Amino acid sequence: MTATAADVALTKGRTGDPFSSAWRRRLPLLPALLFVIVITQLPFIISIYYSFTDLKDKTQSLIPEPTRFVGFENYRQIFSDPFFREAMWTSVKMTVLSVVLSLVLGTLFALLLDRKFLGRGLIRTLLITPFLLMPVVAALIWKQQMFSSLFGILNKGLNVLGFGSVAFISDHPLASIVTVLVWQWTPFMMLIVLAGLQSQPGEVIEAANVDGASSFGIFRQLTLPHLRRYLELGALLGSIYIVQAFDAIDVMTGGGPGSTNVPYYVYQESIGGGFRYGSASAYAIVVVIFSILIATFALRLLSSLFKDEGRL
Amino acid sequence: MHEAPERVRRLKGLVVPVVVGAAVVAATFATTAAGKSEAKTISVAIVANGQMQDIAKLTPTLFTAKTGIKVKYTILDEGKLRQVTTRDVGSGGKAFDAVMIGPYEAPQFGSAGLLVDLTSQAKASKAYNYNDLIPAVRNALSAKGHMYASPFYGESSFLMYRKDLLAKAGIKMPLHPTWQQVAATARKIKTSSMAGICLRGKPGWGDLGAAFTTVLNTFGGTWWSAKSNGEPDKAQVDQPAFKQALDFYAKLVQDAGEKDAANSSYNECLTQYQAGKVAMWYDATVAAGFLEASDSPVKGKNGFAFAPHYKTSSTGWLWTWALAIPKSSPDPASAWEYISWATGPQYLKAAGSRVTGGWASIPPGTRFSTYKIPQYKTAAKAFAATTLAAMRAAPITNPGTTKRPGLPGVQYVGIPEFQDVGNRCTQLFSAVIAGSLDSSRALSQCQQIASKAIK
Repeated sequence: MTATAADVALTKGRTGDPFSSAWRRRLPLLPALLFVIVITQLPFIISIYYSFTDLKDKTQSLIPEPTRFVGFENYRQIFSDPFFREAMWTSVKMTVLSVVLSLVLGTLFALLLDRKFLGRGLIRTLLITPFLLMPVVAALIWKQQMFSSLFGILNKGLNVLGFGSVAFISDHPLASIVTVLVWQWTPFMMLIVLAGLQSQPGEVIEAANVDGASSFGIFRQLTLPHLRRYLELGALLGSIYIVQAFDAIDVMTGGGPGSTNVPYYVYQESIGGGFRYGSASAYAIVVVIFSILIATFALRLLSSLFKDEGRL
Repeated sequence: MHEAPERVRRLKGLVVPVVVGAAVVAATFATTAAGKSEAKTISVAIVANGQMQDIAKLTPTLFTAKTGIKVKYTILDEGKLRQVTTRDVGSGGKAFDAVMIGPYEAPQFGSAGLLVDLTSQAKASKAYNYNDLIPAVRNALSAKGHMYASPFYGESSFLMYRKDLLAKAGIKMPLHPTWQQVAATARKIKTSSMAGICLRGKPGWGDLGAAFTTVLNTFGGTWWSAKSNGEPDKAQVDQPAFKQALDFYAKLVQDAGEKDAANSSYNECLTQYQAGKVAMWYDATVAAGFLEASDSPVKGKNGFAFAPHYKTSSTGWLWTWALAIPKSSPDPASAWEYISWATGPQYLKAAGSRVTGGWASIPPGTRFSTYKIPQYKTAAKAFAATTLAAMRAAPITNPGTTKRPGLPGVQYVGIPEFQDVGNRCTQLFSAVIAGSLDSSRALSQCQQIASKAIK
């Protein structure tokens, strides 16, 4: 399989002479390409194979048992598995909420940072900090120092104001996780949008000002269309990363009710204790297909939406 | 035209970093090689409980100073430790020379050929004294007569309560209370600043799962029924006895339990009990050592009763944290040297005067000789006899009212599927305790999980 992949790479889009200068320049890259194919695509193909078998590990010794080919059985089961459906729904809610909220907040912060004020550098650094933390650390900080109903800051605040304690993570697991994800990803969105804002030509805004446009009008008619590509990029990258959220779930709820997304469910089914690798692989494959579909669709939708807006 | 000299310059620029890099790499290899020949280092994964923290502190002076073997500890909470050991031991990873496991894992891993059989080494070592080990504990860690792990401490479960507070309320706790008596007492004694009872509510089969399963057993329920050959037959989570047990447990915690119960397990309850925030606590017998430790704020105020019962007479669990050597260990000889010291009778004697909690908080429940040490007998007077009796009475072959798979085992079902089922179902039960999920819904979901697992 690697040989054919290499062949494809060799022949693709070239003049044919293997000793041409273009080819000689590419040759040193081949080992790296091969390496990437072997470590990324091979496991995926093996997963596809596993998804058609009943591979599981009853002794939990991580020594797989002899497997049987079961055809599409694993895929058939997916749609009758209520836990998988719930995990899908959780994934959708978690991703959409986190991406939208962090985009909105990120844009607001970016607009603030685009102005000149005293201590801007310091504020910018502070705002970026959450993104620099390891996800596990961020989740732990929120779990222990913010949300804890015994010694969390939020509950201390509530108590001071005369309200009773709220067990945030137990009672609102999804909202708690989304809060952490938004907190972590807002700086990322902010950076992208800020780059967009700073690439906006100043003369246009000036001209609009001279013409007597209101600042909200300028934002809606000029800035937002200009930011389209940046927002798209942020939404796309954010979705790709947040769909795979795992750390926050593992640390905060351990997959408690309403907080198991698809990656965490696949983990539970496989090395997380279920040890049913066959069906876990099938889940993973379905997720990949869905992710590609959703990403493509979302990108098109977003893109056409803003194009229409630009025309107005 | 300009290309050639440019390239030469670039090449020259490359030479220096390459040479430096090679030197660094060579030096690294040289130091690791030298390091290996000088001092041995072994890696050990242990669970984050008090007695283990103690031994980690004492290892440099008591072990490394004598043997020259350095011990690198990885201290993890119960759930994480299980994930790490299952993965490392199972896949033949070389990360650890010794891992801490329990009677759920030892026979399963041992039979699968993943652990070093310790029997002959243990019997041969006079200092280790194999026959001094309490048989129930030793057997729990063995499969077909082979011992795969050496016990560090052993425990059953019982009820710990504040004698002073109960006396003030005019309640006398019997030595063998029923769950109904305990529940009534908890509801009566609780105040706005102090909970009546601390019960585990944190998800995990070894956390909430352990405490709850002992309640389930005595309420007449079981996770699975058994076929005649002892294999699991059908999931029994949808049966009335299961719901009765869960409702009883959840209601008791909601009415009179600790704050933030869904996140509380052994360590959290220990902290709250010592801080005077709870009046009673049903948990591992090993906790008694900390309650009666010389530095404990509640020393001398505690009463101890056997695990509460309902439809069965004896309900306490049996557990032991024990050290095992994975077959993949890079240095099994040093690992055994460490284990025979850490779980041998000498450590217990040496630790008594050195650990912060004093004699009462040395690792209990593994050796008869522990209960003959005069200082321990004095310090642990309040609970030593009850602990030993509870461990002897633990119904490991007949924990409930019906036939079940995975025996021996009280607070868990000794089949591989239980880990996953226990973890996921206790998440649902924890949500029931927190009040965010209806118990009927939790049980019907758990029934599906338990049915699917044994398919």
